[in-house]
Amino acid sequence: MLKGHLDMIVLAALAAAGSAHGYAIIEEIRRRSGGAFDLPEGTIYPALHRLEQAGLLSSRWTIADSGRRRRVYSLTKAGTRALAERHAVWKQFSDAIAGLLAGSRPRETPA
Amino acid sequence: MIETYLDQLARELDFDRALSRRVRLEVEDHLWEAAATNRSGDSFEAQRRAVANFGDARAVAAEFAVVSLARASRRAGIAALVVIAGVFMAMKARVAWYAALQWAIGDDMRALGSVVILIDRYAFLSSLIIALGGWIYIHSRRIPSAFDPAYRRQLGRFFLLCAVAAAALVVSVISDAVLTALQLRGAGLSPEFVLPILSMAIEIAGVRVLVLRIRSVALRAASTAALTRR
Repeated sequence: MLKGHLDMIVLAALAAAGSAHGYAIIEEIRRRSGGAFDLPEGTIYPALHRLEQAGLLSSRWTIADSGRRRRVYSLTKAGTRALAERHAVWKQFSDAIAGLLAGSRPRETPA
Repeated sequence: MIETYLDQLARELDFDRALSRRVRLEVEDHLWEAAATNRSGDSFEAQRRAVANFGDARAVAAEFAVVSLARASRRAGIAALVVIAGVFMAMKARVAWYAALQWAIGDDMRALGSVVILIDRYAFLSSLIIALGGWIYIHSRRIPSAFDPAYRRQLGRFFLLCAVAAAALVVSVISDAVLTALQLRGAGLSPEFVLPILSMAIEIAGVRVLVLRIRSVALRAASTAALTRR
């Protein structure tokens, strides 16, 4: 289920972090979800490439303090718009589920 | 350990050299950074954990391969339109050249010429419309995250459109070659031949580029399927 929302999670993490490289994005996701979203790290990079190809992210090479080359990603305007749209859809869905759950109570099973 | 993992990942993506190089550099930075944050004090264990947390190299490569395939198919869609535009310009330049030199097909071949012109026109229009349809189709689809049956079907449709557009373009270029031969028939070799022959060479080169692009998408799809199967 988490994988179905991976794009939104990555976009949201980047919106919060500003420009960031893959490792920092993963750390941001972990931190902001309170450790709940502990994805296999290798799944984030194909998602970053896919979002970049879709025009939702841009990227550039920089040199890290370690001297290694580092790819840094940022949201594009289209990415910001896409995140806002997905956020609205998610809120609508989550409100609807919350409304449903509010009117129900789990049935207790007899001992 | 990290180097071995990177070698394997880069090897799996060897069908797209640029992607393979980029992924290697990105993942290298990630794995060394992850290993550096490990507090075990054991370098081998830190590297082992970093690699394990990243996931199986083949599975990661398969996800990258899908992105590469999507990029290649979109580029093939654009290439088809660019090649068709190039063929059109070469065709128009040749016709303008004939008009400037007041060259016309001989009376004995005029009937055949009319039929070939008709074939040429419809084949060219068909290739343009089908290629445009293919481009719109592939660009209007979301880039998938997996090489799943839905994406395979989508790719199959796009591949079919490209193949039909290329076939129609081949018919159009062959018709152009026949018309050029009819036009130049009987005339002795002269410097005026340069433009018609050059324009035909451009058309043939364009078709070759298109066929190679389509073949490249097919090969990439085969590599992606192989990575997914394993």
